Amino acid sequence: MSDNKKWYTLDLGLNKKKSTSSSCGCGNSQGSCTSQAQQTKEEELSADEFYERAVNAAIGDERKKDGFEQVFDVKMDRRDAFKKLTASLLIGAGAVSSCTSITKDSDSKEKAQIDWEEQFKGNYKLMTDDEKKSTVDRLMRSYELRTGKNINMSSKNAEEDVLFGYAFNISKCQGYMNCVSACVEENNQDRNSQMQYIRIHEMDDGKGFNFNEADDNYYHEVPAEGHFYMGTQCFHCDNPPCVDVCPVQATWKEEDGLVVIDYDWCVGCRYCMAACPYDGRRFNWSKPEVPENEVNKNQHYLGNRMRKKGVMEKCTFCVQRSRKGKNPACVEACPTGARIFGNLLDPKSTIRWVLENKKVFRLKEDLGTEPKFWYFMD
Amino acid sequence: MKNRNLTFYLLTLVAMSLLSCKNEGEYHSITDKIEAKQKPYHGNLSSEELLADTDLITVKEGEFTFLIPERKGQIKSYACIECHSKPLEQMSNSSFDGKRAHWDIKINHASIETMDCATCHNPKNMNNLNSLTGKDIDFNLSYKLCAQCHSSQFEDWKGGAHGKKVAGWAPPRASMTCVNCHNPHNPSFDKRWPVQFNTQKVIERQEGLDGAEEH
Ligand code: SF4
Ligand code: SF4
Repeated sequence: MSDNKKWYTLDLGLNKKKSTSSSCGCGNSQGSCTSQAQQTKEEELSADEFYERAVNAAIGDERKKDGFEQVFDVKMDRRDAFKKLTASLLIGAGAVSSCTSITKDSDSKEKAQIDWEEQFKGNYKLMTDDEKKSTVDRLMRSYELRTGKNINMSSKNAEEDVLFGYAFNISKCQGYMNCVSACVEENNQDRNSQMQYIRIHEMDDGKGFNFNEADDNYYHEVPAEGHFYMGTQCFHCDNPPCVDVCPVQATWKEEDGLVVIDYDWCVGCRYCMAACPYDGRRFNWSKPEVPENEVNKNQHYLGNRMRKKGVMEKCTFCVQRSRKGKNPACVEACPTGARIFGNLLDPKSTIRWVLENKKVFRLKEDLGTEPKFWYFMD
Repeated sequence: MKNRNLTFYLLTLVAMSLLSCKNEGEYHSITDKIEAKQKPYHGNLSSEELLADTDLITVKEGEFTFLIPERKGQIKSYACIECHSKPLEQMSNSSFDGKRAHWDIKINHASIETMDCATCHNPKNMNNLNSLTGKDIDFNLSYKLCAQCHSSQFEDWKGGAHGKKVAGWAPPRASMTCVNCHNPHNPSFDKRWPVQFNTQKVIERQEGLDGAEEH
């Protein structure tokens, strides 16, 4: 842990000790520790005293269930959670003589250590690349410990000279909704609440873009006579109102133009949802569930990694794909070629040709949100 | 003295306006930002790996040079003359008692006044396609055949507004060609059911829990 962190660290009055070792006396977060940790006279605390101090320093009298329960889906209040987590801190602080007396086996010790570090990590937006890497490493290891399966999580940053943009051809969309399904599968969206980032609006010919009268949950043969289809999702506004209202800066615009959310920093206030003029955001009212065999294991921290209850999520232009040069899943899945994606800064990209040669428009342009999502017709 | 002051102020003003231009968020619109920061992409990302398994050929159409999938290798019974060893008239006459090939092909593409098999295929040279003026068109470049009538689609396809990419957005550009999405004998897309239906949304709307009224 570096000293020049950009967030507050829990001050237990044990700072000196804490910075000297990582998790247990032997400096190894995995496996059990056999060596005796040093213990200094002036810092002598029993495990119970230490626990009390840790809990008081961190949460005082707060007993309400909160994010912790949502994070790890364990039934305990924050005080119990801290008791569990404190075990790993005790080890880290060298306050106990033997690691094995506190936690039963090395796996649960490691799990507790990971949970502790995850609980107190900073905002992803402010992390250095190394810190980003450690958090995805922890999350991957945590998934492995919990499920026995491996996932691949990236913390890849925005590439230079890339600004992502999207164009949607209203004349081409036939309303098949292949994009919606592909998106759900790609982005591990909750199957129970049937969360979907993309909506396809079936509109009446000749009535203009009338979202109030449009149907975004039709089920009949398409394209239906006298109708046209228009897809919406997060438009990755260049001037995103959702970002401005977030009280904890859990959502922001990346250098490549993607508007992203740190699911671990979001407090679930839903201000952003109210601020978005395009119905681009989705909230997890319950714990998202995806059958293990359907989980997309190619993940990005800011993208399709598993979310938890009580946090916001939305389209990320498939950051886990687009930052590798791939097209978002919806673009790839569309059978009609209605969806075009690319780099707005590259004058030779096809999206630029569309913007320069077709008659393009955006929704609610007068709001000044500058969506990077254009509509056009043949 | 006055003059000097004035020059000084002017200079600072110019310097300030120059500096402020470089700040993120100083662009008036996304179009300004794109204009100011654009440059041909030669970055780290490339589609080459994604395209490694696809057999591609380079085409040059006007100002555009890009890749399209190779076609002849994908046609099961190419080369055609392996079967079409005799002129078509002889093969189609009633005395022919061999197996009928292409029995499954029904043309559903424009009207019979406008086109028939021979509009695109040359009975005398089955290995190539046939332009309206009777010139050979290679099967790999079949888009040239389509472009004879569908000129606006052709323009959009060249630019990238019509059709799909073979793989990613990153260069090099590899675009699907017409026949990768359209069956040339039956080119339009069928009506069909959407691939899914959101039952949860129905329940939420009935209960008035849905928050999508913002529009
Ligand atoms: S569409 Fe909505 S959620 Fe997406 S960036 Fe714009 S305001 Fe934010
Ligand atoms: S719901 Fe999360 S991302 Fe949205 S404004 Fe609240 S804290 Fe920020």
